[in-house]
Amino acid sequence: MTNPELPKESPDLKAEVRRAVASLADTPRRGDSTTSDLSIDEELNLHSIGWEPVELVSGVSVFSVPWRVWSWGQGEIEAASAAHAQAFRYAIARIHSEAAGAGGHGVVGVRVERAVHATHIEVSLLGTAVRPIGAVPVAPGEVFVSDLSARDFALLVVSGWQPLGLASGASFVYAPRRAVSAVLQQRTQNVELTNFTEAMYSARETAMARMQETALALKGTGVVEVKVQEGPMPFATHAVAFASWGTVVRLANNVHRHIQPKMVVSLDDPVLLFDAQTLG
Amino acid sequence: MGEPANDLPEAAERRFSAGAFSSGLSVPDFAACLEMGLEPVGFVQGFCAMQWGWYGMSGYQRGMSPYGGTAGGYVENYQCPHGMRSVDHRSWGQNYQQPWVEKAWTDGFASAYSRMLEEATALGADGVVGVVDTFAHLSEEGVVEFHIHGTAVRVQDAPPTVLWPWTTYLAGQRLAKIFEAGYVPVCIVAAISSVRVWAYCVTEYLMSRGGVSAWSMDAEVTEIEQIVSARTAAREIVRAHARGVVGGDALHGVDLAIREREFEQGDLEIECLLRGNRLRRFKDFDPLPPPQPTVRLS
Repeated sequence: MTNPELPKESPDLKAEVRRAVASLADTPRRGDSTTSDLSIDEELNLHSIGWEPVELVSGVSVFSVPWRVWSWGQGEIEAASAAHAQAFRYAIARIHSEAAGAGGHGVVGVRVERAVHATHIEVSLLGTAVRPIGAVPVAPGEVFVSDLSARDFALLVVSGWQPLGLASGASFVYAPRRAVSAVLQQRTQNVELTNFTEAMYSARETAMARMQETALALKGTGVVEVKVQEGPMPFATHAVAFASWGTVVRLANNVHRHIQPKMVVSLDDPVLLFDAQTLG
Repeated sequence: MGEPANDLPEAAERRFSAGAFSSGLSVPDFAACLEMGLEPVGFVQGFCAMQWGWYGMSGYQRGMSPYGGTAGGYVENYQCPHGMRSVDHRSWGQNYQQPWVEKAWTDGFASAYSRMLEEATALGADGVVGVVDTFAHLSEEGVVEFHIHGTAVRVQDAPPTVLWPWTTYLAGQRLAKIFEAGYVPVCIVAAISSVRVWAYCVTEYLMSRGGVSAWSMDAEVTEIEQIVSARTAAREIVRAHARGVVGGDALHGVDLAIREREFEQGDLEIECLLRGNRLRRFKDFDPLPPPQPTVRLS
C-alpha cells in the first residue's frame, strides 16, 4: 500500500520531454479548447482541488456623469456615485453572462480596472472562467466572480470557504469651500483642512457601507482582499472619491477547516546588498 | 503560427556554422533546460518593419462610409434621434472592425516569426524557448517594427523533428512544469483586434458633457452604449481570432493588453492585443495532491 505522505515518484523528465515532443507529429488528441490567463502554477493549484480553467471572459461598462455635478454643491455627488455603482453592476452582469455561456461556474483572478473621468465612469473586468472538472453549465445567476488569484481561490476552498461574488461600493463627496475670511486667515498657518478630512470620512463610510450591503445581499459573511482607492480628482478640486471592492465569502458547510500550515525554515543565506550610504 | 521563411541572410548562415552557441536564457533557465534535456543551439531572431496604409484616420474622412462597413467584419450603425439640426450635428455613428489594421499587424508579426523559425531550422533546432516579442513605433507615420527572438533548443537523444520547430514564451522551471502537467508547447499565439468608433450625436454629447440634461444638477446617468458595444466587440474579436488559431488545443498564460486612442470626443480606436502559449495535451492529467501550506520562518 502506498503512503500518501510520501512524494510521488518523480518521472524521468528528459524522457517525458522526448515523449511530449514526439507526440507533436501524431494526430492531436480531441479535447475542448480552453483559454486562460492563469500561470501554470495557478492551473496546477486549480487541478489539485478538482477545478479547471475554461475560457477568458470579460465585462465592460461605461456610464455618463453630467460634468457640471463636480463643481459646486453639498454632500454626496449622487450622480457620480450612481454611475459608478451602475457601471460595476453592468460589467459584473456581462462577465457573469460570458462565463455561464462558456460553461464556467465562476471567474477567478478578475482584473478590475476602473477610471473616473469628468463626463463618464468606466469599469472593465477580465478573468478566467473556471469550473469543477467536467461539470455541466449553470445559469448566469449562479456564477461567482472573484478577484482572488487561482492560488488564493484554491486555498479558500481547501479551508472550507466559498467565494460568492464581487462586492463594490463608491462614494463621491463635495469638500465644502471655506469662507474667504477663513482662507485668508489660514494662509500662513499649518492647519488641518477639516472640510477635506470630513468629506473623505463621509465618502469612506458610505462606500464601505455600500460594499457591505452588496456582501449581505449575496448572503456572504465577509469580504476578503478589499482594495481601496481614494483621493481628489484632477478635474474636480473640491470633491473627493472613495471606492472599495473585494470578494464576498462565506463558509461552504458551516465548518472552517484548519489547514495547519507547516513551519519551514529556509536554509538560504539572505542576500546582503552593499549599501553605499553607510560609507563615512 | 506560420511556417519558416526562406530568406535567411548569408551572414547569419556563416555565424550559425561557427560552432559556439548563443542563448538568451538566464543561468537558472539555462540549467533547467539542460535538466529537461533541451540543449541550447543558438539565439534566433526575426525582424519586420510594417507600414499601415490607413493607420490613424483623421477627422476629415468622417462621412465617407456611413453604412458601408467592412466586409465580413463587425459593424454597428447608430442613427441620430433628433433629425436634421446642422451640418456639424453628428447624424450618424458607426462602430466597425478595421481588418486592414489587423492584417498589417498580423502580417508583420507572422513575417518576423517565420524569420525566427527559419534561423531555428537552419540550426537544426526542435524548438524555440523563452520567446520575447517587442513592437516599436519607428516614426509617427504608422511604421511598426516587430522583433521576435528566443533560444533555439534541440531535444537530446530524440530523432530529428519532422515539422518546423515548436515555440513557447516559457523557459526554465515554468516550462518544466508544463511538460510535467502533461502539456507540450505547440507555438506562441498572438492576435490583434482593431475597432474604430465614429461617435454619433448622443455618444458625443455623453462623452463630452456627460448627460443629455447637462444643465440640470440632478441629471440621470446613462450607459454609453456605443462605446460599451465597441469595447465588448474588440475583446470578443481578439479572442475569436486566437480561438481560430488554437483549434482543439489550450491557450495558456494569456496576456490581453488594451490600447485606446481618442481622436475627438467619442471618436476612438480600440486595439486589443492577445498573446499566449498554445499547448497540446500529450497524456492524461495526473493531478497533484492538494498543496501543503507552509509558513516560512526567516
